[in-house]
Amino acid sequence: MKKRTCFDAITRTAFAAGVSLLVATGTAGAQKRGGSITVGQELDIPGFDPLKVGVYDTSAQSAAALIFDTLTYRDDNGEPQPKLALSWTHSDDYKTWTFKLRPGVTFQDGTPFNAQAVKDSFDRWKDPANKCRCAFYISGIHDVQAPEELTLVYNLTDPSVTLPATLSFPSPANVVHSPTAWKNKGNDYNRNPVGTGPYILKSWTAGDRMVLEKNPDYWNKGHPYLDRIILKPLPDTQSRFASVQSGEADIIWDDEFDADNILKAQKDPALTVHTYSGSGAQVFAFNTKVAPFDDVRVRQALVMALDRKKMSQALTNGLSRPATNPYGDGSWVKCKDDGALPYDVEKAKALLKDYGKPVDFKMIVTATPRGRAGGQVLQQFWKQIGANMEIEQVDQTAIPPRAFMRQFQLTPWRIVDFPDPSPQMYANFHTGSPVALANYSDPELDRLLEHARSTAELDKRIEDYCAISRLINKEAIWFWTFQNTYYAISTSKLKGLPKLFGGVIDVSNVWLE
Amino acid sequence: MATLELSIRDEVVAGPVHKTRRLGMLFWIAVGWMILVFALAILAPALPLPRPTDMDMLVRRAPPSASHWLGTDGLGRDELARLIYGARISLVVGLCAPVIGVTVGGALGMLAGYFRGRFDALAVGGMDVLLAFPPLIFALAVTAFLGQSVFNLTCILGVLSIPAFMRVARASTLTLARREFVIAAQALGATHARILLRELLPNVTLPLLAFFLLGVAVVIVVEGALSFLGLGVPPPISSWGSMIGEGRESLEIAPWLAFIPAAAMFLTVLSFNIVGDSLRALSDPRQGAL
Amino acid sequence: MLEFLARRLFYLVPVLLAVSLLTFLTASLLPGDLAYVILGDQATPENVEALRRDLGLDQPIWWRYLGWLGHVLEGDLGRSFRTGQTVLQAVVERFPVSFELMLLAQIIALVIGVPLGIICAARSGGPFDRFMTSTAFGMLSVPTFLSAILLIYLFAVRLRWLPATGYAPLTENPLANLRFFILPALTLGLAGWPGIMRVLRSDMIATLQEDFITLAKAKGLKPFRILFLHALKPSSLTLVTITGINIGHLMGGAVVVEQIFALPGIGRLLLGAINTRDLIVLQGVVLCVACGYVLINFIVDTVYAVLDPRIRHGHA
Repeated sequence: MKKRTCFDAITRTAFAAGVSLLVATGTAGAQKRGGSITVGQELDIPGFDPLKVGVYDTSAQSAAALIFDTLTYRDDNGEPQPKLALSWTHSDDYKTWTFKLRPGVTFQDGTPFNAQAVKDSFDRWKDPANKCRCAFYISGIHDVQAPEELTLVYNLTDPSVTLPATLSFPSPANVVHSPTAWKNKGNDYNRNPVGTGPYILKSWTAGDRMVLEKNPDYWNKGHPYLDRIILKPLPDTQSRFASVQSGEADIIWDDEFDADNILKAQKDPALTVHTYSGSGAQVFAFNTKVAPFDDVRVRQALVMALDRKKMSQALTNGLSRPATNPYGDGSWVKCKDDGALPYDVEKAKALLKDYGKPVDFKMIVTATPRGRAGGQVLQQFWKQIGANMEIEQVDQTAIPPRAFMRQFQLTPWRIVDFPDPSPQMYANFHTGSPVALANYSDPELDRLLEHARSTAELDKRIEDYCAISRLINKEAIWFWTFQNTYYAISTSKLKGLPKLFGGVIDVSNVWLE
Repeated sequence: MATLELSIRDEVVAGPVHKTRRLGMLFWIAVGWMILVFALAILAPALPLPRPTDMDMLVRRAPPSASHWLGTDGLGRDELARLIYGARISLVVGLCAPVIGVTVGGALGMLAGYFRGRFDALAVGGMDVLLAFPPLIFALAVTAFLGQSVFNLTCILGVLSIPAFMRVARASTLTLARREFVIAAQALGATHARILLRELLPNVTLPLLAFFLLGVAVVIVVEGALSFLGLGVPPPISSWGSMIGEGRESLEIAPWLAFIPAAAMFLTVLSFNIVGDSLRALSDPRQGAL
Repeated sequence: MLEFLARRLFYLVPVLLAVSLLTFLTASLLPGDLAYVILGDQATPENVEALRRDLGLDQPIWWRYLGWLGHVLEGDLGRSFRTGQTVLQAVVERFPVSFELMLLAQIIALVIGVPLGIICAARSGGPFDRFMTSTAFGMLSVPTFLSAILLIYLFAVRLRWLPATGYAPLTENPLANLRFFILPALTLGLAGWPGIMRVLRSDMIATLQEDFITLAKAKGLKPFRILFLHALKPSSLTLVTITGINIGHLMGGAVVVEQIFALPGIGRLLLGAINTRDLIVLQGVVLCVACGYVLINFIVDTVYAVLDPRIRHGHA
C-alpha cells in the first residue's frame, strides 16, 4: 500500500510537472503583442465611399476588414457569430431580421455606435438622389429601421435565410461607416474612411501604401495584437512573391495562376501557404442576343470543346480545379447531376457544321498576363473546332461598364465565394436583372430562382439549384472553367489568419510569433 | 532654335577618327545577320516548324527536343517558331513605321530647309510642340483607345518618328541650299520643284537612309517595349517584346524563355545600328562649325 | 542679352498654348465615352446621357477647350473620377519619385560617362578607346526593358542582393529608399552613359586639337591639368545640352522602368490613367509633363546661350 501511494505520488508529480510544462509551452504559443506587418495586395484601392466606388475589390475588402467592423463574422465552420451585433431574430417569412447591437462601441472619431448610425448611413446609400454606385448591391434590402438605441431592423424585399452570414462580408454597405465622418468630409470621405474597426487609417499615399495603426479604444479588449499594419499594392506577381520571400511583406495575396511560386512556397518551411476552396467559379457569359451566340448549337459547341484538365495544366500547373456548375465543392449545394456538357471535340465540330455559318467573335479579357494567357488557351481550343476568337484586352475596371451595357459577345465574370448562392444566382440569371449578362429569359429558370430564394428548407433549395444548374448548362448561356481557390502566402511566423472566406485576407486578428 | 542645331552637331561628329576602316568586319557581320533575319522572316511559312500558336499544353517550358528545337514556352508553344514569327512582326513594324516617318518627315524637312522664313518657323515650332509629348504615352494612349493591331501600332510609331526625320532632312537641306550648285540652278531659272527633286534630294538621301536604318532600330525597340507591357501587338501574335514579357513570368524557373528573344532583339537592333552608323559616317560631308 | 531672353520668352508662350491645345484635342478625340467610363456599373443609356450633359460633353469642342484652359490657369486640372483626388494632388505626390529616379539616373550616367569620355578623348584611337566606343555602341542597342530584366535577374533573383521592386519614401527611410532605387536608376543610367561619353569624347577631341591646348602642352603643363582645367569646360557645352534634354525626357517619368520596378511615379500615373480611361487625369498630367519639357528646353537653351556668345548674337 505504501509502495503504491509512493508510486502514485511520483506519477502524480510527474503528471503535474508535465501539465505545467504543457501549460508553459501553451502560453508561449499564445498571441504575442506588438509589432507590425506589411500586406502585399494585388491592386491599389481607389476608395471606401460606397457612393463613389460601389463595390470593394479584394484589396479594398482586406483594408475594410481592418478599418471597419461588420455586424457578424463567420467562424471556421462558416457559421455567423456576433461582432457588432450580439444576437438576432427573424420573422417567419425571413423578410424581417432584428439585430440587437453591442453597447459601448464608438467610432474612431468618437461618434457613438448605435442603430441610428447604421440607419443614417444606409439611408444615404439608398437615397436615389445620391445615385450610389452601390445601389444595385443593396437592392435586396428595402429599408433599415432603428426603433431603439441598440436595436436594428432590416426589412428585405425578398426573403433571406442566411442574412446574418451574408452580412459578415466586408462589402461597402455591410461595413459600418461613421455618419459624422461622411457628413463632415463629403467628397474627401472616400480617402479618409472612419469605422469602428481595430485599426485606424493613419496615412495613405496613392499607389504606394496605406498605413493603419492600432485602435487603442477598440471595443474588443485585448485586440488587436499588432501595433501597425501597412498595406501595399504590388501588382506585379513576381515582385509580390519576391517581397514575401525577402521579408519585405509578411503576407501577400496570390492566386493559382502564380502556380510556380505557390508550389515553391509550399516546399519552403519559412513560408506558409493559406488556401481556401470556396464556392462559386470563374465564369464566362455569352451574350445570347448577339450572333453567333444567339444559336444554342454554337454555345454548346464552344463549351464542349474545352478540356478543363489540360487548361488547368497549361495555366496553373494543375492547381486549378475544374468546375462543372456554378456552386463548386465549397458550396452546400451538392448535385448528383448538374447537367454539365461533356468534353467532346467531335460532337462540337458536328454542331458547328450543323450551324453552317462561320463562327467569328471577340472575347474580352483583362489586360494582364493572366488574362492574356487564359484567353489564348481558350482561343486555341476553339480554333481546333473551327471557331475564330479574337482577343480584346481591356482594363479590369472597364469590364463592369461593358458588361452592364451588354457591349460584348463573350465576357469573363466571376461568381465569388459566398455563404448563399441566392444573391448571385438571382442577380446573374433572373430576367430583368442588370447583371443578367446573357440577356436570356426563361420563365422556368425565373420560377426556380424565385422559389429557391424564398424557401427556408435546405433540401428543397438544393433541388432547385441543381435544376437551375442543369438548365443553364444545357442551354450553355454561361459556362464555368475553374472553381474558386483562394490563396495567401505568408511568413510562417504569422498566426491567427482566419479562413479566406470570399477570398478576403482578414489580418485584423493576426499576430507574429 | 539652338537645340535643333545642337543635335545635328551631335550627329555630325560621330564615329572614331579612322573613317575608312568603318566598313570593316563588324559591318559585314551586321549585314549578314540582317540578311539572315530577313530570310527567316520571309521564308517563315515555308519552314518545317510547328505553328507558333499551337499549344502542346501538357509540355510547357520543355527543354529542347526533336519536336521542339528550342523547347516550348509557358503555354506549350514552340519557341523557335514564335521566335521566327516574332522576327516578322519586328521587321514589319520596324520597317513600315520609319517609311512613314521618312516620307512625311523628309518632305516637310526639305521644304522647311529650302523655303525657310515663315514656313520654316512654323514647321520647327510644330515639331517642337510634338516633341514635348512623351512618345510612349502617346503610342499607349492610341493603341489603348483605338484598339491593338499591327496596323495601328505601325501608324502611330510612324507618326511619332516624323519629327526626327524632319530635323535631319531640314539640317541637310539648310547647309546644301546655300551651296554653289543650288545658287547656280536658281540663277539659271530652275523651278523650286526641280531644284528640290533634282539637286537637293539626291544629296539628302544618304543621310536620310542612314537615319532610316537607325530609326528601324529605335522602332523595333519601342514596339518591343510596348509588347513587353502587353500593349503592343495583340495576342496570340508573337513579337520578341511580348515573348520577353511572357518570359518574365518564368524568370526563376526558365530564364531562357526571356533571354533567347532578348538576344535576338539585341543582335538585330545592334546590326541596324552598326549599318546605319557606318552609312552616316560615310555620308557626312566634313562641315565646318555651324 | 536681355533682348535675347525677351525674344525667347515671346516664343515660349505660343508653344505652351499649342501644347495645351494639342493635349486637349487628343484627349477629346480619343474614342471611348468619358461619361460611360465614369459610370462604370451604373451605365445605363439614360445615366450616360445625363452625365454627359452634366460634364458638358455635349458642348462644342472649342468651348470646352477654353473652359478647361480657364480652369488650368486657375490651377484646377480636374479630378480623377476613380480616386477623387485632384490631378494636381496626384502629380505633386508622384513627382518626387520620378524626380529622384531621374536625378540618380543622371548622376550614374555622368559618373560613368564623363570620366570615360575624357579618357577616351585623351587616348583617342588607342585600344582602350576603341573598346570603350564599341561597348558604348553596344550598350545603345540594349533596350531599357532588357537591361531592367537582366539586372533584376542578376541582382534580385540570383544574388538576392537587392529587391526586385518596391518603394520606400525618402523622408521615412533613406536607406531603404536608396536600396529600392538602385536597380531602376542603374537601368536608366546604363542607358544614358553611352550618349554622354560619345558626345563628350567628340567635343573633347575637337577641343584638344585647338591651338590653346597645344600652347598649354608646350608650356609643359601636366596632362591632367590640361584635360580637366582647360579642355573640359569648352567641351562641355553639348554635354550640358544633352543632360538637359535627358532630364526633360525623364520628367515624363520613365514609364517602362517605373512599371517594371513598381515605382509610384508620374510614368505609372499616366499608364494607370490610360488603362482606366481616366481622360481627365491623362489630359492634366500630359499637360504638366509637356509644359515641363518645354520649360526645361527653354532653360537649357538660355544656359547654352549664356555659355556660348555665338548663339546669343545669332552667329549660329
